[in-house]
Amino acid sequence: MIRVTGKQHPWRAGMTVADLLRERDDAHDCPVVRINDHYVSRPNFETTSVPDDADVFFIPMIAGG
Amino acid sequence: MPSYDLKLVKAFDYQRPAIDRGYANQTLYLDLSSLNIAAKPVTRPMKDVFIGGKGFDLWLLWNAVKPSTRWNDPENAVCIACGPLGGTPAYPGSGKSIAATLSPLTGTVIDSNVGGYFGPYLKFSGFDAVEIQGKSDQGVVAYVDGIDQTVQIFTATGLPEDAYQLSEVLTAHFAQGKPRNISVVSAGPGAKNTFFGCLNFSWYDPKRQRARYKQAGRGGVGTVFADKGLKALVARWDAGVSIETNQPADRERLKRVAKLHSKEIAELDPKQNEMARIGTTHLVTIMNDHDLLPTHNFRFGSHREAPNLGQAVFRRLFDPGYDGCWMGCTVACSHGVRDFTPLTGPYRGRKVFVDGPEYETIAGCGSLLGIFDPHTVIELNFYCDAYGLDTISVGTATAFAMECFELGLITPAHTGGLELCFGNRAAALEIVHEMARGEGFGKLVGQGVRRMKSIFTKEFGADPAVMADIGMESKGLEFSEYMTKESLAQQGGYGLALKGPQHDEAWLIFLDMVHNFMPTFEQKAEALHWFPMFRTWFSLCGLCKLPWNDIIPEDNQSTPEPAKVMKHVQWYAEYFSSVTGRESAPDDLIRMSEAVYNFQRIFNLRMGFGRREHDALPYRAVGPVTELEYESRAERYDKQLTDTQRLDITGKPTAEKIALLRKFREQQYETLKDAVYLRRGWTAEGIPTLATVNRLGIDFPEVVALLKASGVTA
Repeated sequence: MIRVTGKQHPWRAGMTVADLLRERDDAHDCPVVRINDHYVSRPNFETTSVPDDADVFFIPMIAGG
Repeated sequence: MPSYDLKLVKAFDYQRPAIDRGYANQTLYLDLSSLNIAAKPVTRPMKDVFIGGKGFDLWLLWNAVKPSTRWNDPENAVCIACGPLGGTPAYPGSGKSIAATLSPLTGTVIDSNVGGYFGPYLKFSGFDAVEIQGKSDQGVVAYVDGIDQTVQIFTATGLPEDAYQLSEVLTAHFAQGKPRNISVVSAGPGAKNTFFGCLNFSWYDPKRQRARYKQAGRGGVGTVFADKGLKALVARWDAGVSIETNQPADRERLKRVAKLHSKEIAELDPKQNEMARIGTTHLVTIMNDHDLLPTHNFRFGSHREAPNLGQAVFRRLFDPGYDGCWMGCTVACSHGVRDFTPLTGPYRGRKVFVDGPEYETIAGCGSLLGIFDPHTVIELNFYCDAYGLDTISVGTATAFAMECFELGLITPAHTGGLELCFGNRAAALEIVHEMARGEGFGKLVGQGVRRMKSIFTKEFGADPAVMADIGMESKGLEFSEYMTKESLAQQGGYGLALKGPQHDEAWLIFLDMVHNFMPTFEQKAEALHWFPMFRTWFSLCGLCKLPWNDIIPEDNQSTPEPAKVMKHVQWYAEYFSSVTGRESAPDDLIRMSEAVYNFQRIFNLRMGFGRREHDALPYRAVGPVTELEYESRAERYDKQLTDTQRLDITGKPTAEKIALLRKFREQQYETLKDAVYLRRGWTAEGIPTLATVNRLGIDFPEVVALLKASGVTA
């Protein structure tokens, strides 16, 4: 099990960030996620695994700077 | 016994006015030549049109200077203002000061939005703004004591030169045992010896028991300050500030909206960017991943070593604790590094506290120079602050010099023997020390990219065409630290910015390049209207923009215009209404900014700038200059030539493809200018029309005469 923005979400071995986002309807057009203390950007979603028991947050990168 | 001496040479006692709905209703005037001190009234029309903060600065500056005034003329003024909402402790990000002057880099108006306690303390002491003209040949300290209701000017001898020590000494001197009551504004030796000196604004950190610093960095406001012979400007006010101190029109309404925003940030920041823990350092790897982190003088947007400068490192290096640059801010992003030991310079081997770094400093003094060692970045950050140097201009100017060195345009014979290649950490540090001492090649770098291009051409025989393409300045100001090659909207965000390429007007890269929210020119133009206007509004009111869109509501994406974070815009309208009593909706905030924004554009025109030709960009901001750059992302560029331009590039050499791409992209930028000028109500020359200034209520006789003299007829 992992927590996505504080709520429980089922985890499975080999799950990537891209897989997770496909399973969610609240990720919208999220370009960056944070897994625990680690930031992952969209170009790396397909290749980055989500570890079990992770805390995942969707980072709303909109018009910062 | 102190080793310094402050001798009182002029005092001005005054009756502190009661703050009324966020305003003191007067400004403070200081003439350092004649030692004249006076209070000037703030009129109702001044508040209606210019609101406060940067708006007041611009109006005071407009009346202080002439079209012929240069940055180092005595009549040039340094203006520093808060704003009607500034100093509210309950609402996040409400302690900003805005500094403005005629810039030594650009020759026209520069403005800089900065944290620290000075602006609110100045206002609560009875002045919405301070305007400083004249020059002292003795070196003076100006002191505004709102508690004892006196303004004093001291001649100063024996004071430390660097900003860190100077603020520490002056805080102790004026505090009367309460250091949190003091805020010091100071420059430093680098500010005196370069054209991009910054101002350090202090706030006292009771937990760490030390003065902390934020910087008004851009455009050389610190250089003007130092040129005036002003060593420091100090404000004293009772740190027991509350929501009542601004005497808001509707206290309960203010409390309600402040609580909503503050609570939301406290809840969501830990789930989003963690700014209260890691500041803006999260941007480093994100920018790198999206090919947007400038490396090697903006040649490239990513580097394999960039994670060495990322949040994972600074999460460990930052000293944990509350780091709000104004009281009660829940964003609290002003982090610092405790017990850092510099390897060079006057503090070599001594433990110091370093305020920062933020993203811009990491990129400018790190990746841009090909430096991926966080400790070197921290040391550059420390010395830039201590010397009063803008880390962005230091980085961008040094990177330009490094590329010129690597291209053979300059040699060790010019650099005083420095091997100024990318990644040379010792050389980068030495350049900064030379800037502070006003000697060696560092002094030349300290004149900025635009002047370096001219000097390298005239004195070193360097190729001006190459330098025009790779020298990252526009309007004379060095670029801040984002890659714009693949975002036409952000090229506009930089090129069309009034003061030069600083990201605080418009940061559209993700909306444009990553999300593709604005595929048409009209959509880009709309964004380049709305975003600069809303961002301008923060500087009118004494606010920080971070609470607006760096922590956003969880349901934001399901709103009609998620990029604008309209829930927060509505809260800001409530905030403004509740403090000032001037009932305002979101569109009214845009309208307020539009008036000031257009006035600033016209101010540029008055100073000999502010036309289409001045909105030019170096080609490196638009596309690949060298074959190395093109070939490093050949698939991307080839695709644009074949898919967008429908060109057959089979067998074409890289140089020819670069030329084809350049022609296309430069034309795109010109088309964008047309669209933006039209949206803003400007002529094709980029000048506000008479109808626009009339609509905005800035059709003052002098403005209308200037527009007519500039060929504007309607």
